[in-house]
Amino acid sequence: MSIRRLVAACLICAALVIPARAQSADGSDNSEYLIKAGFTYNFAKLMDWPASAFPQPNSPIVIGVLGTDPFGGTLDQVLKGKQANGRDFEVKHLKWGMDMRDCDILFISSSESAHVDEILHSVHGLPVLTIGEMPGFAARGGIINFILEDNKVRFEVNVDAAKQANINISSRLLSLAKIVQQQPDGRR
Amino acid sequence: MTTTELRREIAAVMKPEGTRKQRRACAARGARPSAGRFVRARRAFAAALIVMFVTANAGAGTKQDVQDITAMSVEDLMNMQVTSVSKRTQKVADAAAAVFVITQDDIQRSGARSIPELLRMVPGLEVARIDENKWAIGSRGFNGRFDDKLLVLIDGRSVYTPLFSGVYWDVEDVMLEDVARIEVIRGPGATLWGANAVDGVINIITKSAKDTQSGLLKTEGGDEQLTADSIRYGGKVGDAGYYRAYMKGFDWDSSTGLTGVDAADGWHQIRGGFRSDWTLSRADSLTVQGDMYHSRDGETLTIPSLSVPYSATFSNMGDYSGGNLLSRWNHNFAKSSITLQTYFDRTNYADNNLFVDHESVYDIDFQHDFHLGPSNEILWGASYRSIQDRNDGTFTVSVVPNHANYNQFSAFAQDEISLFDNRARVTIGSKFEHNDFTGFEVEPNVRFLTNVSKNQSVWAAVSRAVRTPAITEEGLQLVDAVVPPGYPPNSAGSVPLIEAVYGSHQFKSEDLLAYEIGYRVQVANTFSADVAGFYNNYTNLRSAEPGAPFADGTTAVVQPFYAENKMSGGTYGVEPFVDWKPLPYWRLFASYTYLEMNIHKNADSIDPTPDIPNGSNPKNQWYFRSSFDLPHHIGQDLSVRYVDNLPSIGIPSYYSLDAGIHWNPVPNVILAFNGQNWLDSRRLEFTPDFINTVPTVVSRTMYGSITVNFGKR
Repeated sequence: MSIRRLVAACLICAALVIPARAQSADGSDNSEYLIKAGFTYNFAKLMDWPASAFPQPNSPIVIGVLGTDPFGGTLDQVLKGKQANGRDFEVKHLKWGMDMRDCDILFISSSESAHVDEILHSVHGLPVLTIGEMPGFAARGGIINFILEDNKVRFEVNVDAAKQANINISSRLLSLAKIVQQQPDGRR
Repeated sequence: MTTTELRREIAAVMKPEGTRKQRRACAARGARPSAGRFVRARRAFAAALIVMFVTANAGAGTKQDVQDITAMSVEDLMNMQVTSVSKRTQKVADAAAAVFVITQDDIQRSGARSIPELLRMVPGLEVARIDENKWAIGSRGFNGRFDDKLLVLIDGRSVYTPLFSGVYWDVEDVMLEDVARIEVIRGPGATLWGANAVDGVINIITKSAKDTQSGLLKTEGGDEQLTADSIRYGGKVGDAGYYRAYMKGFDWDSSTGLTGVDAADGWHQIRGGFRSDWTLSRADSLTVQGDMYHSRDGETLTIPSLSVPYSATFSNMGDYSGGNLLSRWNHNFAKSSITLQTYFDRTNYADNNLFVDHESVYDIDFQHDFHLGPSNEILWGASYRSIQDRNDGTFTVSVVPNHANYNQFSAFAQDEISLFDNRARVTIGSKFEHNDFTGFEVEPNVRFLTNVSKNQSVWAAVSRAVRTPAITEEGLQLVDAVVPPGYPPNSAGSVPLIEAVYGSHQFKSEDLLAYEIGYRVQVANTFSADVAGFYNNYTNLRSAEPGAPFADGTTAVVQPFYAENKMSGGTYGVEPFVDWKPLPYWRLFASYTYLEMNIHKNADSIDPTPDIPNGSNPKNQWYFRSSFDLPHHIGQDLSVRYVDNLPSIGIPSYYSLDAGIHWNPVPNVILAFNGQNWLDSRRLEFTPDFINTVPTVVSRTMYGSITVNFGKR
């Protein structure tokens, strides 16, 4: 079988299938981080921060991405020009050691897994929505943890941690979440 | 995550809920291929490079996708499938090694029925089918049925037999549906231990029990693999434990040799096992898993004999059975973690015409990972392995001693230093091993990685690796042929001449100094490309040196060939691959492998085998796959691959076109139909070495399957 015939065969097969300008019926395939950016946007819409979190009526919602940014710019793009509850978004890229306490949402990348306890401790009691994507993050005190199940993005919620941050989560969100209990802290 | 993370994974730190954290994971020649084909391959490669650079500059994902996502409700987002190319490369982006990840998506879309078939897409590997149940699989050269430079691990357990330092591909199998991913790392030094991973490691990682919490029933059938049925069920134990149990059985039909005669190479296997993962406390996790199997594989075997007509060819059946049990405990401290793993593995091989072997392996591994200051991550560990071997030989194959215990100790340490505000990382480390054959061995390596920009990284490494002798290299007696009196080289003889290969206590470790370099780029989660290159300098490679003939009683004369270390040389190659999703419902993948081998005998070698550059390894290979998603939950896949000729064994080059389609009519049922080798190029892919099994012809094959998920939680 000559290579020419083979290439022709492939092109024919491809041509037969491509024009099926499809739309996968139940929503297209999306990258993991595009979906997580979508969730983050919805979290901002469906949660209430205490008044102390926003000094002025038009203060933006500050999202800090701590560590190696897995969104690769997607989060910035998704939120550009968007608003939640009348507030703009501001995305900051932070590194370990920088001040995170003025964030309203703190996304902790798995590159910071070694420092998770310290990070959560430093924002404890402050109105910061902590979001992570590593096993056990919610059990350790993070408020929201993304997990993948069956190739779909799901999220765990630690309700006690949300209460301690004075963040009110809508019951609609809670009904879709996996509720996780805070594990007793074994060490200081 | 870094090479450190990857290494930890290879040494099997698979936390029960591990998904994201474990993402890194962390051949001699003959005729030249026609210049035309090589030029074409170069052009194809150049074209691929151009496509790569053009799309790398194409910028981020379409504005369209990004705008649409904010219009989705939370409920919509929960229903979206994640299948971005970033799964393959994103989490290994910081590994300073040539890593390739076979994802579950690849498993489902490639139509592969077994692990060897899955490995065909990996750049840098040579995969060749010998018969229905035997394969020759190697990395970066030296391919053969008994290739000894490629380590394979399943969930941290080495499936590398110390008998011949290779893998029984006819025995190892897993339920592919329960594989989370397979990490293939070409090159040395990427493992912490697991002896002799000189040219690569294949790490098969199964899903945690938590991710397989439903029932699954799959039945497959076709014209080659007649039937394969698997069933798995997963459940919870109280609050903190998850388990799954499975059983799988299959029957492969026999195929034919070059002459068209049935080669009696059917393959029958049944296996079962379980996996359980426990969260003992907030900081402790435990995994316990085990399997048992019984496999019978057939072949047409030719063995030499001392009586006329001096060889016998007949249908032969090998019987394998065995099992394993593994446990792994992981404990997380505030800034460090430790892992303790132990396993037991038993293999019984019985082939009354060739060899009988019973092998028990006990292995215990410890690892400690901690941070020292803000920029150092230290990983160190120690392990002990006890191997008990009991064997019984025949005229054709025997091993001395018949009964022995071997002990291996190893330790390693490495420091991963983060520089320039984490934009670069240097890893310095070494493995230390002690074995009963060659004593103490040291294998240092240095690796370097830098993120030249947010989405691009460059890495380089220099490593020393050592392949310690296998039990056979020390004590094998293998009769290659019996030459009747009057035939060359026994023309002057009056009794038969036995040509036999012997292991030797003088056999030393083979040595490798490897230089590697690589580059990775990822654009907008829809395009990723990776190139790895290497230059390997080998010394003390195995040769077979003839010795003085001696009489075996009065009935025969023996011409011995002793295993010695009188070959050396260099190999080099380049292994790019590209993953691209031009449209949300269309995905393309391509890989290419170039391998040049200049392995030759040393000046003082009298091994009569001629030096054939590239040996039984192809100089060029490529693989291309296109995957489409159509409406009504139908998916279609098409793949083409090319493998260059194998010079020293006279196997010509070939193309294979594979295609398949699958359909999800209701959420928990998948119907699939696949075919391999649609062009029906009838070919041998390999001719075996050492043991004279008749190789069989690969022809067009079709098969289908039905998968049902039930009891979903």
